[in-house]
Amino acid sequence: MATQKIPAKRMKREEYRRNVQAQQESTDAVIKMPQKKFFRQRAHANPFSDHRLEYPLSPAHMDWSSHYPAFVDPDTSKTNLSGGRKLTKEVEVVDIGCGFGGLMVGLAPLLPDTLMVGMEIRTSVLEYLSSRIHALRSQQQRLKNKAANPSSTEPQDTSTQPESAESTAPAPANDDEIGTEKIFPGNFENITAIRSNTMKFLPNFFGHNQLSKIFICFPDPHFKARKHKARIVSESLNSEYAYVLRPGGLLYTITDVEEYHHWVLRHFLHGEQPEGAAPAPSSKDLFERVSEEELALDPCVRVMKYETEESKKVTRNKGNKYVAVFRRKADPEWPA
Amino acid sequence: MAGLQHPFQCLRYVNRQSAGQSDILIATAGRNLYSYDASSGQRLDLWPQPVDANVEDKSSDAAPASESQAPPEKRRKLSSTSEEQKGAKSESKPKDSNKEASNSWTNIPLVTVAHGKYVVIMTSEDKCVRVLSLDNEGKLQQLSARTMPKKLSALTLTPDENNILTGDKFGDVYTFPLIPSGEYVKVQAPAKSYEPSATNLTVHTKRNLESLEQQMRQAALSKTNQAERVVLNFEHQLIIGHVSLLTELISVTRPADNRVGKRNYILTADRDEHIRVSRGVPQAHVIEQFCFGHTSFVSSLSVPSFEPKVLISGGGDNYLLVWDWLENQILQKVQLPGSEGETTVRGIWDVSLAPTADNAEPVKAIFVALEGCVPITIDNIYNPPNIKSRSSQLLCYALESDNTITHQHTLQLSGNVLELVGIDSRGSILVAVDTLRQSDSTSAWKSSSQPPLESFRLSSGKWIPAEDSMVIKINSEGTTSLPTTIEQKEEKELNDSMYNLGNLRKRGDYDE
Repeated sequence: MATQKIPAKRMKREEYRRNVQAQQESTDAVIKMPQKKFFRQRAHANPFSDHRLEYPLSPAHMDWSSHYPAFVDPDTSKTNLSGGRKLTKEVEVVDIGCGFGGLMVGLAPLLPDTLMVGMEIRTSVLEYLSSRIHALRSQQQRLKNKAANPSSTEPQDTSTQPESAESTAPAPANDDEIGTEKIFPGNFENITAIRSNTMKFLPNFFGHNQLSKIFICFPDPHFKARKHKARIVSESLNSEYAYVLRPGGLLYTITDVEEYHHWVLRHFLHGEQPEGAAPAPSSKDLFERVSEEELALDPCVRVMKYETEESKKVTRNKGNKYVAVFRRKADPEWPA
Repeated sequence: MAGLQHPFQCLRYVNRQSAGQSDILIATAGRNLYSYDASSGQRLDLWPQPVDANVEDKSSDAAPASESQAPPEKRRKLSSTSEEQKGAKSESKPKDSNKEASNSWTNIPLVTVAHGKYVVIMTSEDKCVRVLSLDNEGKLQQLSARTMPKKLSALTLTPDENNILTGDKFGDVYTFPLIPSGEYVKVQAPAKSYEPSATNLTVHTKRNLESLEQQMRQAALSKTNQAERVVLNFEHQLIIGHVSLLTELISVTRPADNRVGKRNYILTADRDEHIRVSRGVPQAHVIEQFCFGHTSFVSSLSVPSFEPKVLISGGGDNYLLVWDWLENQILQKVQLPGSEGETTVRGIWDVSLAPTADNAEPVKAIFVALEGCVPITIDNIYNPPNIKSRSSQLLCYALESDNTITHQHTLQLSGNVLELVGIDSRGSILVAVDTLRQSDSTSAWKSSSQPPLESFRLSSGKWIPAEDSMVIKINSEGTTSLPTTIEQKEEKELNDSMYNLGNLRKRGDYDE
């Protein structure tokens, strides 16, 4: 890398990110929400390259304790294979390619007792989300302290209501600067973000039948036919999703690219067969599509459709959104 | 036996005594496939026949079985082919079938035998899976040639030996019938005009919109549909996929026990340290287990025929792992000589031999060969260092009753170990050694060739060199000779085709 002049924009960005880092390390400061504009990154990553990824040797080696401090098992004798503290429950929701984390933040109050993780291959974006979650958590902590101690010195803020009962969209309109001034169920302690290439290493993080939900929201469409191998949905990858999903678990997909939607349907569902012919056995046998009526009742679909960054962008541009959700069926019987 | 000769790359022993015929040894060296009578060592056939009309100044004499008649000019021919292709600008390959048959590969790295009468091979450069018939006289004749989309790293059969399983460098596992059933009619998608999958609803920036517009114009302009791809133009199924380089693929049958019946599995390994256990065909899309424990690429898997519950795996780590593979349980971690990042497991072979005069007990042994692995870095990419390794040694292990393995002793061979096969009927093992490279080196060449085969038998707990008339005969005939002068580039290509595991190591590149 050339060591000459660093562009001013990059200087500014780096300085900002250093400040965010420093802010997180100091405990007393009021943590501000990070701003996305300092964390922009090219929208594509090559899933076939090695990158410099960290991943556990196996799910039993994964140390989740730093990710979910509120869920660490109080029994210090319980440790996993790499010596980290165990959690009181397992992670069971994954957002593959979580981006800036709109889905995670939107889902966190809906499923406050469920541990969820967003996985993202791009470092800057991941750094943003980690800072965002950290800021949200500390903000919630501050609000909780205030609620518990109303006579504290801090003035203003009459709007703060503990445990709002309403179930509408919790994330504020502009998730960057403002943050939230409301206490949410779960206090965002149940979400985290990890850098990973799930196309290669998903089974390193999650065991057989561990997950109840997988989200694939607005995946990189890889328009060129030559790049289709890099798509996050394929029959062979679906086998891996089936491995980590429990029977009855759901795999959510949403995209604004109609062709990709059909690709998804094609790779999860058997097409029409010629008369009398049984479809060739494939990972399609392991999934069935969830009906529209059922989806209408699923709050996760609403979050996915309206609260992820990408969905907002699509709404702004008046694009279409195509949703398909699949339920993991039980494994077939072994052939006799 | 003058000059340098190609070593044997693959060996298969075809037991045909049950069919009342004599056994046959199948071997590959250079670009040729050989069949030998296993009792006498007499060469029965050489494929492809070195008669080649369209090769200049090549005397196409009629003595196909005589030695060193294979075209020594093949390196030159290859380069001319690549020039031709460059000239032809990567449009559909020149399809002169004659030429293709004689030009398109330099080695045969994968061989398997089905039903004792079919030999399945993969020829390397043209990525072609070829099925040959092996008749009673040991003559070889090609029945079919099917071109795969990517180079294969593993080739095996389903347990019924009626279907071929292949694993390729793109991580995909395909299955297709050994004998193609009838004419394959490619499912023709109805010809429809090209439509970009992006729309002005999904791309927004000025540049993207412009390029979309251009795509539209282009689509309207060229109504021609693309030339049919030649690959995978046969009945096949994609059954497993890794997003990684697939390194090994084996097909295992677990015999029935008191809980469940007989079950078939497919075990696959990749460059990203994974060992995956899938069900056998037709349910290969169901993943049963991952075996986690390697911290570098996995290159070799062996499930001993005499203990199918156990898996022994090795790769870029300096240890072997012994597994109860269905439970993802490591039974043992076996340290190998050499430090981390240096040792690479080239092969793991399980051998079970019938009792012989020397041995009252049947022999059950595991052999492991290492490869001198040169990590490729920017500094040494053109001049790989000549790393000394232990690749001319063969480590012998015994499988104990508690399913762990213990090191018995180490065999020293006259050259790098390339391949090993057990010959049940005579209680011996046959080892193919590198005839070209110096012992323990992957790049330094010998000045003259040595015999390509060595044979050992077990005598009072020790493997000792065995006298075998077949080996003597085969060694005396030798394999195909290399041209007398070889350029450095060609030498490197030959080295790389034989020793390429080092390239699997991750280099810790820069990011983003």
